[in-house]
Amino acid sequence: MIPLLEIRDLHVRFKIFEGELKVLNGVDMVIGEGEKVGLVGETGCGKTTTMKSVLHVLPIPPAKISGGEILYRGKDILKMKPGEIRRLRKGEMSAIFQDPLAALNPVFTVGHQLRDVIKYSLITQGRENLSKEEISAQSITVLKETGMPDSERILSNYPIQLSGGMRQRVCISEALSAAAKLLMADEPTTNLDVTIQAQILRQLNELVEKRRISILLISHSLGVVRKVTERVYIMYAGNVVETARTKDLFADPLHPYTKALLKSVPKLTGEGISQGIRGRIPNYLNPPSGCRFHPRCDHAMPMCEGERPAAFIVGDNHTVACFLYKR
Amino acid sequence: MNPLSEEILTVENLKKFFVTKQGTVRAVDNISFSIKEGETCGLVGESGSGKTTVAHTIVGIYEPTEGRVSFKGQSISKVFSQRPKNLKKDIRIVFQDPGSSLNPRRSIKQILEVPITVHRTYSNKDRLGRVMELLTMVELPPEEYLYKSPQAIGGGEKQMVAIARALATNPSFVVLDEPTSALDVSVQAKIINLLMHLQKNLNLTYLFITHDLSLMRNIASRVAIMYLGKICEVASTVDFFQNPFHPYTKMLLSSIPTVSDDEEDLKPQEVISRGEIPSPVNVPPGCSFHLRCPEKMEICSQVDPTMVNIREGHVVRCHLWQGTGNV
Repeated sequence: MIPLLEIRDLHVRFKIFEGELKVLNGVDMVIGEGEKVGLVGETGCGKTTTMKSVLHVLPIPPAKISGGEILYRGKDILKMKPGEIRRLRKGEMSAIFQDPLAALNPVFTVGHQLRDVIKYSLITQGRENLSKEEISAQSITVLKETGMPDSERILSNYPIQLSGGMRQRVCISEALSAAAKLLMADEPTTNLDVTIQAQILRQLNELVEKRRISILLISHSLGVVRKVTERVYIMYAGNVVETARTKDLFADPLHPYTKALLKSVPKLTGEGISQGIRGRIPNYLNPPSGCRFHPRCDHAMPMCEGERPAAFIVGDNHTVACFLYKR
Repeated sequence: MNPLSEEILTVENLKKFFVTKQGTVRAVDNISFSIKEGETCGLVGESGSGKTTVAHTIVGIYEPTEGRVSFKGQSISKVFSQRPKNLKKDIRIVFQDPGSSLNPRRSIKQILEVPITVHRTYSNKDRLGRVMELLTMVELPPEEYLYKSPQAIGGGEKQMVAIARALATNPSFVVLDEPTSALDVSVQAKIINLLMHLQKNLNLTYLFITHDLSLMRNIASRVAIMYLGKICEVASTVDFFQNPFHPYTKMLLSSIPTVSDDEEDLKPQEVISRGEIPSPVNVPPGCSFHLRCPEKMEICSQVDPTMVNIREGHVVRCHLWQGTGNV
């Protein structure tokens, strides 16, 4: 596997009135070329912050990247000049944001926005002399690829005239027409119905495979991640606690948090619902010392409070940040 | 749950239309069902299918356009303001979004006192005691939460306060309108456990509205599926998940993202979902599902099917099963 994106020990803090929120606390992550990776965690665990750091769109200040590096093909994004980052965003990587209505501009038609994206991303890729007709044709093609019915008519509509599933398809086609290498999808199906969700995920999967794009799928839904990805990262309170091949992780979760999370998901087998996880996600102003999960953990040991567990290798491609697995 | 127990709520041919500029929205179109005492009836459907309208009509927020709703033999097809006070006390509701259903300017104590004061169930002297009792019931320590404002507590805790408010008047029937859809799975598990525990202790009957079928599998005793204002299929939970008959139910079940292989085996053969939910303003003629149905026939676009009792307690509204009595 050739790494496309490598995040090493990333620390992000937010400055607020009361002090500093220590949100990301040393995130490590690798995405290989053409790989489908999932990032799972509950609300407020830093999934979106991670993605925004990679795209370099965090509001700085209040945010502050206080440590670590993000390597894209071996080059540190954090040290790039603004122009270089812009070129990267235009031609190499793109994102699908959580709320499609907020991501689309309400005063321009869908076609207008889509043509803009195509025009500027193609210019970056060195194809400057495109005629208007070619761009229009291209915009219809990308929209059709996502399974949008009646694409020609949709192009002259405003975002507000479309349903949630259709808006999401517009966002996907915008992202795909810019992404040559890496696509980051932040909860792309969260506010959609299950039947529409199944459609969108299927089409996203087909497109990504056809174009050999790497995808980072961010979601709180374990089921969605299991369906799409090959490898998965589990995040809790700004730390990656476990990573493994998707198949291995769902068959044999090891970290106490992953186990508890999987048990909390209601299952079709009707085996009842577990008690959930006691306590709640820590306050980032004064996060617990050591392992951030220890106040809620059933297996907490004295050493958990003292130091942060490193990622221990437990198997092929499987690491767990928990002292229970220290050899 | 005694199968011979009495029917506590019956809905017959309920219709609720809304007149808008674009035309009449047929939010709920001729549905009938009943709920027995002590059971948890699940009402499942995608967004816009009319689940919440049904809930609001039962509680009295809307007046039905046509049809009859009766509770313990008494007709309640009236709006809230015209209902006898003892009925209002008996039917309570928990709303979807705990953030907007609690007044941010009141303390939790004040919020919980309102229903007690209005219904005069406790004397002024005992009121505080009752509030404390309610908070203990939903597992929030009273001394810690009594004087907090809703903004100061987490989403799961807010929903627990909303549940306590619903229980303040000792109701026998509670409508739960997607009580956990805005929450993380680990918090959802806690709330569901609490609700099940309360049901057993206080002998409550629930109408549980949700879009999450895996959740229904674990808690409901009977499930009804709604699509575009009409009920497609009603069955007891086990029967429903083992032998779904309606093509929409099959599509819905096969679209659920799951987290284990055991669950995968329980799903019906994959039905590829396609199309979007039509707008309820112009519902297609005939069966409203025929535009997306993989097993569509001639007749489906012309005649609206009627409810057929396939076997004891299993009702389906589809032309495929029309005229087949007991299968």
